[in-house]
Amino acid sequence: MSTTPSEGSARARSWWPGPRLVSLLVGGGAAILVLYPIAYLIQASLSVGDPQARPPEAYGLDNFTGLGRYAHILGNTLQVAAVATVLAVMVGFVMGWILSRTNVPGRAAFEQLMALPYYVTPLMGALAWAIIASPSSGYVNQLWRVLGGEGHLIDINSSWGIAWVMALFEGSVAFVMIGAVMKSMDPSMEEASQVLGAGRMRTMLRITLPLVLPGVLGAAVYVFAEMLGSFSAALVLGLPARFYVVTTAMYQLVSQYPPRFPTAAAMGVSLFAVMFAMVWIYRRIISSGTYVTITGKAFRPRVMDVGALRWPFFAICLAYLVVAVILPVLTIVYASFQHLGAVAPRWSNFTLANYATALSLDAVRSALWNSLLLGFATASIGILLMGFLSWLIYRSRLPGAGAIEYILMFPQAVPRLVFAFGMMWAWLVFPIPIYGTLWLLLIAYLTVFLPLGLRTISGVILQIDRSLEESAQMCGATWGYRLRTVTMPLLKPGLVAAWLLLFIASVRELGASILLIGPKSKVITPAIVEAWFSTSTELTAAMALLQTLAVAIALAIMFAVARRAVQAGGE
Amino acid sequence: MSVSPASIEVRDLVVRYGTVAAVRGVTFTVGAGEHLTLLGPSGCGKTTTLRAIAGLERPASGEIRIGGSPVFSSSANVNIPAERRGLSMVFQSYAIWPHMSVFDNVAYGLRVRKRPEAEVTTRVREALDLVQLGDLGARSASKLSGGQQQRVALARAFVFSPSVLLFDEPLSNLDAKLRAEMRVELKELQRRLNITSVYVTHDLEEALAISDRIIVMRDGVIEQVGTPGEIYDRPRNTFVADFVGSANLIRGRRRPDLERDGLVVLETAAGALVHGTAAGRPAGAEALMAVRTVRLRLDLARPAAASVNLWSARIRQRVFQGDFTQYHLDWEGRTLIVRLAAAEPLAEGDEVYVSVDPRYCVLLEE
Repeated sequence: MSTTPSEGSARARSWWPGPRLVSLLVGGGAAILVLYPIAYLIQASLSVGDPQARPPEAYGLDNFTGLGRYAHILGNTLQVAAVATVLAVMVGFVMGWILSRTNVPGRAAFEQLMALPYYVTPLMGALAWAIIASPSSGYVNQLWRVLGGEGHLIDINSSWGIAWVMALFEGSVAFVMIGAVMKSMDPSMEEASQVLGAGRMRTMLRITLPLVLPGVLGAAVYVFAEMLGSFSAALVLGLPARFYVVTTAMYQLVSQYPPRFPTAAAMGVSLFAVMFAMVWIYRRIISSGTYVTITGKAFRPRVMDVGALRWPFFAICLAYLVVAVILPVLTIVYASFQHLGAVAPRWSNFTLANYATALSLDAVRSALWNSLLLGFATASIGILLMGFLSWLIYRSRLPGAGAIEYILMFPQAVPRLVFAFGMMWAWLVFPIPIYGTLWLLLIAYLTVFLPLGLRTISGVILQIDRSLEESAQMCGATWGYRLRTVTMPLLKPGLVAAWLLLFIASVRELGASILLIGPKSKVITPAIVEAWFSTSTELTAAMALLQTLAVAIALAIMFAVARRAVQAGGE
Repeated sequence: MSVSPASIEVRDLVVRYGTVAAVRGVTFTVGAGEHLTLLGPSGCGKTTTLRAIAGLERPASGEIRIGGSPVFSSSANVNIPAERRGLSMVFQSYAIWPHMSVFDNVAYGLRVRKRPEAEVTTRVREALDLVQLGDLGARSASKLSGGQQQRVALARAFVFSPSVLLFDEPLSNLDAKLRAEMRVELKELQRRLNITSVYVTHDLEEALAISDRIIVMRDGVIEQVGTPGEIYDRPRNTFVADFVGSANLIRGRRRPDLERDGLVVLETAAGALVHGTAAGRPAGAEALMAVRTVRLRLDLARPAAASVNLWSARIRQRVFQGDFTQYHLDWEGRTLIVRLAAAEPLAEGDEVYVSVDPRYCVLLEE
């Protein structure tokens, strides 16, 4: 029974083959996945010879200097991003304050519901708002003309429209970020001010606001960076009005004939540089010393009794959810059951034909199937890969773990469309012919969702105290045994959450997919966008709902399987 | 459950975190069956030393032997992973696995060693009985109080009869009352298990209560090694005197002309003569002595017995603290602090006689 240490001296050297080797391999792998496409993107942007030539015939900066012609597009992008950011941060600040600091009715429920706008996605939002408010056939404008108006009341196919749809989506992101800051603020800081004789207003201006300001600023920079790279809303709403932002202009340059790859690449590199700077600023703000309100202690945020103002606040919260979630979803459902889009319901106008058509189209069926397959593969491979990477970065004390983390988080700063552009070029010349296959999409998804998966899983890993693994080690358990009996079971909830997130994100991916699909590897979201531009609105709505439904069913099955597995495996 | 306790030898141990050396050349041994405590303030390297012995921290250099055979040696390039060192450990955070029952937590080490399930059952029962949790085996480990988690952690650590048991501040997360209880239980358990143990704590009382020997550490080096009594009454330097409970430090000039019977005599700036013991330490012309506050006596009438170390003083302040009363005295132009357990009728302003046995006045190294 006695396990004397002497038995070990023969194989006394550590089993670990050499942490430097492992970190080199992982770092190298990560570099290939992440940096290889970016290298090709940069190479393409410097190509000044024949635009179609691979590899480039000559190098130069002409593509960048030539971007001056597209100054108006840059202006468009900045305008949309700025308006949307201001709106989104206002939504986030107001909602964050109401839901974390006041006694508004239904606070807890609202807080849960605030996640919903995120799941509606900008594409769904854009489709719905196009149906509601496109200048010619939008429901609102139909009503306007019925009521005797001229032309249109609102035009969603404008920079304001795009900003509006994006702000509704990013509002929930800003809410999460700002709400977290407000909640983590020690209420005793405000109480101290009041005890020292400052009034409520003075406390708000001198204490509360300065304390949450870095958080608000951080959220603004983050949202602005996301907005610069946003694609789907600008595509759906901007294209009909020939209103371009950088990402849609890039897409146009690539998909037109003849394609102008180097110009598009130069645009992508410029955008990437700006976003990279924004993300850097964001990190600086978040990690700067002034950000002291987050202490890691759990406070009970002090809830203010706002009296009769509770109901106006309640109305504000409800209004946001209505325009960001309820109205868009109802609109799409309503439209999907109509022959011809009309705001007034008529019995004869209702039909199931859109669904029948969508399901009968081979292209839609195979695209949906491909998407689900890819989602399943991305999520399953993703949690293994990202779980291992998270463990390597945060737990193994590998030399260079910080650098690996930095590289892996890189895709966060690159718009997915730009990234896909790099991948398109990179994998075209790859010796194994995966271009135009689902494999390329799988690799693309795994790469662009690295930050998402890593953040989700590492959040759980960091919560698991290191001593839980160490105590297993002290009980004599080997590495594999520990992983199986302690680490993996404790990680299970985080892994399940990461699986679901990756699955949903993959099935709904547009920016990367739209450049990487081939005739035999179509996926559903680009198919929906294609249907929007080439077939009827109603058919598109039906397809969008089918996609949502398919995701829901797949998730339900996964939940059932996971629960059974947990029950079988557990006590 | 019989396994012979193993000795531990640590030689020239150096542990670095990046460029910072947390442990800077530490050497000591723990005899088989001995209960040793590493005591010191946070950041002194005590936990790092323990984790190096456990194999959870890789030292930069030095050697660690357990039961005579090296488990780490920088010169021989030996580093046996923690799971094969045959030790066990109780963690500060308890590290109870929340996804397992109490029984499964305790059984873990036995199952790792592939013991037959019947043996696992009996031994886990015995261990749980020993920590007085006999009826909680089926309970989920996440539904335990702090004290219960502590006991589960203990049972889990000794159930598979390790040759050495390591404790990393196991009681620091418990409230004061429970801590005092557990201290007694832990001591009893240690003796019953016939095991070598290394215990890390920053709590003096804990260290005094459960150790055969104490090592006081500071800034990654050993300040003093000794029995609890030695550490308490004969601190080697001001750091130990200060860290190990309260002491009065008295500085003075040597008066070799008055020294006899092996005593050292200091004359303070105000001219008071203090007789003390050198405890084998070298003393220069100037020296420092430490006197524990509880070793001083106060009397209203001049005590007959004392021939040396008898002075008069005035009580400036009295602080009642329950278990004892602390008096702040004006003594020879400075403050002297005295703690007395008895509620004696001494009032602020009283003129008193202060006396102390010379063996409690200890010369410090500087």
